[in-house]
Order: sequence, then structure tokens, then C-alpha cells
Amino acid sequence: MADLIIQLLNGLNYILILILVAMGLVIIFGLMKVINMAHGEFFLLGAYTVVLTDRLGLGFWVGLILAPIVVGLLGAVLELTLIRHLYKRFLDTILATWGVSIIIKQTIIIIFGPAGLMTQPPLPQLISFGSLEYPAYRLFIMAVSLSVIAVTFYVFYKTDLGLASRAVIANAPMASACGINTRRMYRITFTFGSALAGLAGATMAPLMSCDPQMGLGFFIPAFLAILVGGAGTLSGILAGGSVVGGSESFISAVYSPVTAQIVVFSIAIIIIRARPQGLLGGKGRG
Amino acid sequence: MLIVNDLHASYGGSLALQGVDFSLKPGAIKALMGRNGMGKTTLMRAIMGLVKIKSGTIRFQGKEIQSLRSHDIALRGIGYVPQGREIFGDFTVLENLRLPLMRRPRNQRNAPKEIFEYFPILAERMNQRAGTLSGGQQQMLAIARALAPNPSLLLLDEPSEGLQPSIVQEIVDILLAINRDTGLTILIVEQNISMVMDLAQTCEFMERGRIVGACPIEDIRADESIIAKHMSV
Amino acid sequence: MDKTNSAPRISRSAAVFAVLFAALALTPLSGDLYLLTQLTQLLVYGIFAMSLSLIWGHVGILCFGQAIFFGLGGYIMALVTKGMVPGMTGWLASSCSGLILAIFVTVFFALALGYFLFYGRLSGPYLGIVTLAISVLMERIAVNWYYIGGYNGLTSVPALNFFGFELLDPNELYYFILASAAAMYLFCRGVVISPFGRVLAAIKNNEERAEYFGYNTAQYKIKVFAISAGVAAFSGALFATVAEFVSPTIVGFGLSTEALIWVALGGREVLLASFLGALTVRALEAFLSDILTYYWILILGLFLILCVTLFPQGLFGRLLADRPKS
Repeated sequence: MADLIIQLLNGLNYILILILVAMGLVIIFGLMKVINMAHGEFFLLGAYTVVLTDRLGLGFWVGLILAPIVVGLLGAVLELTLIRHLYKRFLDTILATWGVSIIIKQTIIIIFGPAGLMTQPPLPQLISFGSLEYPAYRLFIMAVSLSVIAVTFYVFYKTDLGLASRAVIANAPMASACGINTRRMYRITFTFGSALAGLAGATMAPLMSCDPQMGLGFFIPAFLAILVGGAGTLSGILAGGSVVGGSESFISAVYSPVTAQIVVFSIAIIIIRARPQGLLGGKGRG
Repeated sequence: MLIVNDLHASYGGSLALQGVDFSLKPGAIKALMGRNGMGKTTLMRAIMGLVKIKSGTIRFQGKEIQSLRSHDIALRGIGYVPQGREIFGDFTVLENLRLPLMRRPRNQRNAPKEIFEYFPILAERMNQRAGTLSGGQQQMLAIARALAPNPSLLLLDEPSEGLQPSIVQEIVDILLAINRDTGLTILIVEQNISMVMDLAQTCEFMERGRIVGACPIEDIRADESIIAKHMSV
Repeated sequence: MDKTNSAPRISRSAAVFAVLFAALALTPLSGDLYLLTQLTQLLVYGIFAMSLSLIWGHVGILCFGQAIFFGLGGYIMALVTKGMVPGMTGWLASSCSGLILAIFVTVFFALALGYFLFYGRLSGPYLGIVTLAISVLMERIAVNWYYIGGYNGLTSVPALNFFGFELLDPNELYYFILASAAAMYLFCRGVVISPFGRVLAAIKNNEERAEYFGYNTAQYKIKVFAISAGVAAFSGALFATVAEFVSPTIVGFGLSTEALIWVALGGREVLLASFLGALTVRALEAFLSDILTYYWILILGLFLILCVTLFPQGLFGRLLADRPKS
């Protein structure tokens, strides 16, 4: 029983991080119609920021705070230099950002080497719930993820900035004709989405062996989660993230990670095939 | 107020505007008529910065705007009501009206009460999702949304499309009232002749991307066949 | 260069093809065996590049996982010719059956995949990323599958052997591969200029309009996807015999990405340009990767960005195109 609860908690942990990563991706996609193939590498950079601060003796917390700032800034720079020129060219942004991801990943390899690196979890204690013991750090991550997700949803649905974003998502030219500066929205969105990925990477760093391929390892499930949940909706990724993350966690624990990947991927493809607009999508997007 | 000079623009691969010369005086209400595909909508979209302009100039209140982006043009004081209304169906009426006011400080983002005086129907449905409004109500919302930031020029593209004559009359009355009270300049693209006769002061005709004729509304009231002449196949 | 010109003239692509393959046919005369073996492998990659050009440049289907088919073909060829497929022994374990099985299984796989991808309205980017996911997945499966060699893959793949005639001599192997490349080019070219190919071009241009005219675009895309997979599988099978090994890397996204770069750099819309792109990039890599080691991949990434943003026609695309680009 205790084992089951631990598995469930781990699964929840994974789902929340996946949602964090996917949220940035889906907001960027919804607003700018851009798929940033380097989004996984932004996650990677967040994780390696923590590795760096750890190696420099600055500790985890500095890394955690620096990661979203650094990655967000990088996102802003990328948007300004590259993405801005490719707004109308959908497939080209995918390819160009894939090129960016190659560059980022290779830079990490050059600086840190190709092998996996470990960092110490900052809260090594275990918290006891009766007979159950669970790492405090994991609980911390879940709290952080939940808060960030909640804040994002609040901003998106309850503030003027969110209203303007949703207007641009719904009808960008008309939003522009209403006086909304779409370019500025794109910049803000891209920066924010990238920062989310960086934060997610930073929180995961102490839990995994950080290697240069981990970015892709989160990008693909995040993308599948978006497709499964519904590419046009923010709430869709809650559903998609739960389905994809939950099943991957569960099958991974019961069988093996490779089996999990195969099964989850097949399920995702079948769902997308059967219901192209995703589980929660309404208008047949995609 | 608005001077368009030798404007050329493409749309969808074809040269939709081939040298448009056009002007509007402040406070005037002008109708733009012509058969489908003659460039009327493209002209409106060009003024609003939604279509790429190949050559020519557009002057609004003395300043050139043809190279400005749409949101800057909106801020300069041009409101746009596109064909098909394009309201934000998922937003409430209030949110639709709040959108054009985003550039203002936070406490000034509520729609001015004058809007609700002119459009009482909207006052009754402030928190209703715009997608659930009737066609006529949606059209009023689209116009109110364009008027919320108090523009000097209003562009209307086929507002009567799909509406009952009684609603059209209501809209005409409201627009005339606003024009009287505030001196709002109005440019309207319309195929609905009776609406044009009730609302407009002058009328211009467009054919194949150019203005080919103009006349005051009295001439049309006297002889409707003028329109037929300009709109014939 | 308009279509109404009825005077017999040699099209640019035919001329380039003739010159290129004549030049390639003469290289063995140099006597440089190292060059020959390198070139043999480059030619195989060239065929692979053409398979990608077929779906990407000519139909607009962006596939991030083209190596799936290359690797699948390679592994099947290796397994069959090494006698590792249960039930296939003796003459069934020959190069011929290896090639045939490699192509058929891969084509069938592509058809099934296409059925899921193209009918589910998964177009454009979604398709690209889904194929990427499959690529990653398959690489992972290959690493974890002990029987097919796991991380190290399979070595000592037997040489091509047709009815007792073993292609062990580098010159003979080279000419065989060169002939295969020429044949694959002519085949792909045939697809492109056929009525089927013209519908594909229409789909690339404006899919909605093609559908409006009554074409079942999904079916067309599935078919060309399968054809491209078959060509890729063929090149993969050849690779297995030429390199004498297969490993999970030939099925993963690394090779898929490299193929994208070759084709983008060379010129995706022209088969020969993509072919040359593969040869050029790979040749450069052989030269420079010793000097530049880790930085080479960085440069490739930069190349990709530059090509996509500034040179959509690639280095050779404009030179080798038949008609001037409209």
C-alpha cells in the first residue's frame, strides 16, 4: 500500500513537471503559431544552470532562481534574432529552432561533456506520514509546480494580459486592429514560455542524471501531451499531461521505461488519430 | 481627415488595388459601393494596416500611416468593423469592449458609459458570452468595440450582411446619432442600397481596384439607376 | 525554358545527371582505394537523401525521423543475411531476399504509419515531431533489444552476394552502388514527373485546393510516404553491406537530423541537389571533423538555421532546377 502511494506521488510529480514544460510550449504555439523545437533544450539549460551553480559552489537555490531568468532571457534573444523573421513560415521555424536545439545541445556537450552529471537534492530529508516516508524535495517540487501552474492559469484567464493573449490566440489580426501590440505579446509569451521550461529543468536537475539528451526526453512527451489534450487549449494540457505522464509513470514502474515509452506513444497516436482535436479540444484544430 | 493617394496593394496574389485616390472630410459619412471583388474590403484593410501596401500613401489627420502596424493605426483613432464582425465569441460583451482599451492605464479600461447609452441592448447583456448573441447584437457589439476607444474615423465593412431590416435601421439611427453628437467620420462599404441612402452623405464607386465615380446621396435618391449603372455586370 | 517548347532538348537535370554520374563512374580510375570506399558510403547516403527530398521537397511532408526507414532496412538486411531470422536459412538468407524483405517490411510499416498520421489530420509540424518521437523510440528499442545487438548492434554483415557472385572487390562494389544510385534517381525522378507526381506537386502547393478538386490527398501522401520509405530502406540495406555493421544510431534522430541538414543544404526541391548535399556535407565532415571534432555538429546546426532562413533552395537547388523558380 505504501509502495502504491509512493508510486502515485512520483507519478504526480512527473505529471506536474510535464505540464510545466508543456504549458510553455502550448502558450507559445497558441499565440505565435510557432513550435519551438529548442524548448526541450531550454529545459536542458535550466537543469545545467543548477549543475553549474552546484559545481561553482553557489548551491542549488541560486541555480533554481537563476534558471528561469537566464533561460527566459535566452528565449527573448532567440525571439528577437530568429523567430521574429519567421512568423509566417511555420515549417521553417520548426527547422530553424531544431538547428538552435542542435547548437545548444552541442554547446552543453562541449562545456560539460556528454556524460550524465549528478547534483545533490537540496532537501535530503524524508517526510513521514505515518508509516510512509517521502522525500521532502519531491514534495517541494510539486508545490512549486502547482503554484506556477496555478499562477499561469490565473494570469491567463483572470488578468488583462491574459485577455489580450487569448484575443491574439483567437484572432491575431483583429486583436491588432483593436490596438493590441501583437509583436510585444509574442516577445512576452516566448520569454515566459521559455522561462517555464528553464524552471522545470532546474527543479528536475537534482532528481535525475543530467545529460545532454534529457531535453528531448521531456520535449517529446510534452508535445504528445499537447496533442492528446488538444493543441488549442491551455486546460487541454492538464488532461493531456495527466494521460501521458500518468500512464508513462505507471507503466514504467510496473514494466520498464522502454515499454512505457512504446505503450504511451502508441496510445497517444491512437487518441490523436481517433480524436484529432484532442480530448478537450473543441473546434477540430490541428 | 483621410487622404488616400495612388494606392496599390495585392491580396491573395492578385493586384486588388490599382491606384486608388480617395479622400474623406471630417464628420462626413461616405459609402463605398461596387460589385464583389472590386477591392472595397482590401481598401479598408489597407487603411487599417492589415494588407501589405505596394505603393502609394495614406494620410490620416495629416500624418502618413501606410507603413504603420495595425495596432498603431488603431491607437491613432481609426476603428474597424470588419466584414463578418469577427467578435471574440469566447469572451463576454464586457471583455470584448475592454480589449481595445488595453493600452490605457488599468483603471481606465472600462467601456465609457456613452457606449451603453447608444447600445442599450449591450448594457443588458454585459456578462453574456459574445458567441451566444444574435447576429444583430453581435454587429452592434462589433461597432461598439470599434467605438470604445473614441476614434475619429470608423470603418464599416458590410455591416448589414445577414441582418433583418429592422436591426439595420436601428444601426443606421445609432450611427447617425453618434455622427451628429460627436462628429465621427464614417466610411462604410455596403451593398445594401436602402441603408446607404439612409446613412451616407456621399457615395463613391469602386471597380477593379480603382475609384470610378462619386456623387452626393441626393443624386442617388433622385435616380436610383445611377447605382445600377456603376454596379452592372 | 517553357513547357510549350517542342524542340527536342536535353533538360538541365538530365544533363547534370549525365555529367555527375559520368564523373562518378570515372573516379575508380584514380586508383585511390580509400577514396573509393569513402565514396561508396557517400553514395548510399546520397540515395537516402533523395528519399527525403522526395517527400519533403516535392510534397512538403517534413519528416524528422527518416532514419527510421533507413535503419529498419539496414537491420532487416543484416538480420536476414546473417541468418538471424528464424525460418530464413539457406537461399532465403541471401542478399536478394534481404533486400526484398527490407524494402517490403519497411514499406508496409510506412503504410501503416501513414494511415495513422495522414488520416488523423496530422499534418505539417505534428507529423514531423511524431516521426521524431518514433525515431527516438526505435533507437531506444534497438539499444534494449539484446538479440539484435543492443547498443553495439550487429557486425560482420556479409557482403552483397548475388547468385554466388560476391561483391568483395571495392571497384565492383562501387559500380554496383553507383548503378543503384542512378537507378534510384531515375526511379524517384520517374515518380516526380509522372501524373502521380504532378498531383503531389499540387498538394504541396495548396493542399486544400487539391482536395477541392476531388483528390484524396491523404491517400497520395501515404503512398509517396511509403515509396520514400522504400527507397530509404533500400539505401539502409545497402549501407549494412557496405559498412558491414548496423547499430541503433542508424535508426535514431541523429541520423534523421543529419539527413535533414544534407537535404536542406543541398536543395530539398531537386533530387540531385539533395544527393549532392549529402555527398558534400559528409565529405566535408570527413575532412573537417578531425580538426573541429565537437564543433562540427555545432556548425551543422548553424548551417541548418542559415539554410532555412536565407537559402531555402539550398546550395545547389537553383543551379540544378529544371525550370526557373516562379
